[in-house]
Amino acid sequence: MTVIARPEVTPAARWAFPQPTTSSLSNGLTVHTFDLPGQYVVALRLIVPLSVRSEPRESEGVASLMTRLLDEGTLEHDTEEFTELLERKGVAFGAGLSDGGLHVDVDAPASRLADALALMVAAIARPSFPAEQVRRLVRTRLAEIEQERASAPHRAARELAATFFHPDERAARPTAGSAETVSGLTREDVESFHATHVGPAGATLIVSGDLSGIDLDTLLAESFGSWTPGPRALPPEAEVPRRADDAVRIVLVDRPDSVQSEIVVAGPGPDRHVKPAWAPYPVLGFVMGGSPNARVDAVLREEKGYTYGMRSGFRPRRAGGMFVTSGSVRTEVTADALTILLEILASGDAGFTAKELADGVDFIVDTAPGRFATADAVAEEAAASILDGLPLDFTTTNLDRMRTLTTADLEAAYARYVTGEWTIVIVGDASAYADAIRALGQRVDVVPN
Amino acid sequence: MPGEWATYGVPMPLDYPIHERTLGNGLRVVISPDHSIPTVTVNLWVNVGSRHEVAGRTGFAHLFEHLMFQGSRSVASGEHFSALMARGARLNATTWFDRTNYFETVPVGVLDLALWLEADRHGYLLDAVNQTNLDNQRDVVKEEKRQRYDNVPYGNALRDIYATIFPEGHPYHHPTIGSMADLDAASVEDVHAFFATHYRPDNTVLTLVGDIDPEDGFARVERYFGQLPRTDGTSRANLGHLPPLTEPAREVVIGEVPNNRLHFAFRLPVEGDSDFLAADLALEALGGLSMSRLVRRLVRSEQVANSVQAHAMGFVDGVSLGLIVVDIATDADPEYVESALLEELTAFLDSGPTPEEMEAALAQSERAWLQALGSQEERADLISHHALLHGRPGYINDLLDDLSAVTAEDVTRVARTWLNPSARAVVAYLTLENVEAA
Repeated sequence: MTVIARPEVTPAARWAFPQPTTSSLSNGLTVHTFDLPGQYVVALRLIVPLSVRSEPRESEGVASLMTRLLDEGTLEHDTEEFTELLERKGVAFGAGLSDGGLHVDVDAPASRLADALALMVAAIARPSFPAEQVRRLVRTRLAEIEQERASAPHRAARELAATFFHPDERAARPTAGSAETVSGLTREDVESFHATHVGPAGATLIVSGDLSGIDLDTLLAESFGSWTPGPRALPPEAEVPRRADDAVRIVLVDRPDSVQSEIVVAGPGPDRHVKPAWAPYPVLGFVMGGSPNARVDAVLREEKGYTYGMRSGFRPRRAGGMFVTSGSVRTEVTADALTILLEILASGDAGFTAKELADGVDFIVDTAPGRFATADAVAEEAAASILDGLPLDFTTTNLDRMRTLTTADLEAAYARYVTGEWTIVIVGDASAYADAIRALGQRVDVVPN
Repeated sequence: MPGEWATYGVPMPLDYPIHERTLGNGLRVVISPDHSIPTVTVNLWVNVGSRHEVAGRTGFAHLFEHLMFQGSRSVASGEHFSALMARGARLNATTWFDRTNYFETVPVGVLDLALWLEADRHGYLLDAVNQTNLDNQRDVVKEEKRQRYDNVPYGNALRDIYATIFPEGHPYHHPTIGSMADLDAASVEDVHAFFATHYRPDNTVLTLVGDIDPEDGFARVERYFGQLPRTDGTSRANLGHLPPLTEPAREVVIGEVPNNRLHFAFRLPVEGDSDFLAADLALEALGGLSMSRLVRRLVRSEQVANSVQAHAMGFVDGVSLGLIVVDIATDADPEYVESALLEELTAFLDSGPTPEEMEAALAQSERAWLQALGSQEERADLISHHALLHGRPGYINDLLDDLSAVTAEDVTRVARTWLNPSARAVVAYLTLENVEAA
């Protein structure tokens, strides 16, 4: 049996993210259209700039509640009718809040585009917020808070936000609100928040899919053209949320008898507007903790067998960001795993190799054509740029910039944010490792689950 | 209306190109060109899953899949991941009851490397397997089990459902992740025997979807896989069909969960049987849609449930599984919720789905199917799926036609047979507050 030699690889050609056709409606709505042949399901993404920092302190969660109620009925159709209209037309409807705004996500077969647009604009422009569905979704949020408390990664994320950010920052508290702020919300609160903060001016609609034979201009005029701008409060300027004065510490969230410990190690990071460039940060995430062979898992997974996998990455917000490493290890090795992890994260100080740079860049750049191949993925990427206030060629210019990076760029970028001043949260059986963690010499607080 | 999507702007029937060839060693190869982006998806399905595991070795098919990344004759441990990722590949593998799949999407210039790496491990894994690799991946898999099942509220609900609705000894009685004791028992000898029995070219389908012409693709696959020896061995035929349960089964688990949750499970016809599609539509109409009668009543009207989900899981070994999962609102009584659900189920069996329910269930299935096929990766996976398990590589073009041929009468007939309340298995996960009541 002959052994066939390992084949050579030929480099991929430069690739660019598709650029849309852009237009605007007289009500101020911007429309970006990506015509993608063969993508039979059209992705519609509506983005309305909005910030949870606009919520009154005592009604935090009202923006999320409003978002979740958009498809629960309109001025023309009650809850049951509207639900049925969506589903009989093959339309999938979703909505959510991110740091940059409200997004409404609709997917529908291209032939159903007229129906999908009509239902989408009704949901965003003329929602009725039926009182009984408001009460239901308040209760659902309260149940969700308990479900998040029971899930180690969610519980860790909540504790991280509360520990990392200054208590005066909205970012320190759950986006969808806490039990105290959500319990008393009424349909009037929701309606008033919607009337004040949601409108077409400054909003953007992304249409992505196979649009052959479709007269989109007419469909848009007949649907989103009817969305009338009202008096509307613009969201506050994006600001980097301040870190808490005592953010550098270890918090143990105690869950007796837990079989694993969820470890989160976080420090500050940049947003995607950072100068000189965002490009080094995704590469650093890949090199440190973006694959089974990255620095973290090469030791904690492949050598030690402590974890199914831990991940590192820079997580940009609209302004500012975080560098987060997280994952689960079995309870017995918690202190050892944390010690090793902190050493690995500090190893960036000693530099990065040319191979690490090349592998990371090639992974991110050369996976791009496949990552952005569907109507849905193109729309999501464009929406992410818009929510972050970035131009729609950002994806391409960032990849181009990535190809020019040097190891010195990586080192400078890492050193700029990674100073070893970590906020650390561990969710698990604290009694099994609290003493060993205290021996690391940092401030340690134990809190109940 | 059934068949209404024939009027859509989509070519109907769908016309994704399908080219098929079988190599001399029995490897089935399917190629579906798509030149829209300069990448190719390589997708292999091996006809082995947890259904083939023997007593005392549950979880082994999945542990074995991990070892496929730990090196082979000409590839170092971990190199499969690192060599491909460094060249712009996204890749992984998964194990399920019925099969194990391995896949990567690569830039066209990396296709040969991907095929070479796959051929090396699918042909010559055993050259590299050793106790150290096995021990390490055993630890990793045990952490995977803790992370995904043992340390998650309701994380073992599916395990309990399989054990309740499928008889002891049936291939689907135990979950793919297996048990800690059986993972501990796995040996290097087991790895050798498992590879020899199941990892055979004639037990495998390889699909390429992407920027490649069929003849070119077949030639490249032949170059790397054609030299793999045909190996002895046959896989057993699928088991005969299990009937519905004749009386309700029940398992109650009381523990640290945030809400009471009821899982209603039903045996269903096997995947590939047109009655499976009818059962799928029945579950969708009952509880899978927002407008479905269970969501309408339990979630929106009476507000005794936070959510209702329903879906069908298709299997090939003599039975499939239908599931309705109800997450119960904090103050609601699980007994009442169960009785209300059974009332709705009984009414559905009496009168069948409404035209609106049929229309919505079909429309939602159509969108989901077209959306899945819009992705090269998912298209490749669906081609391999139907080629390996059903001998129908071109089925991606036919499913919507098969679905539109299902009538409301079919749905009613199938529901009466398989979704009868007396054929249910209920797995109840209850909060600690139920301790005294139980």
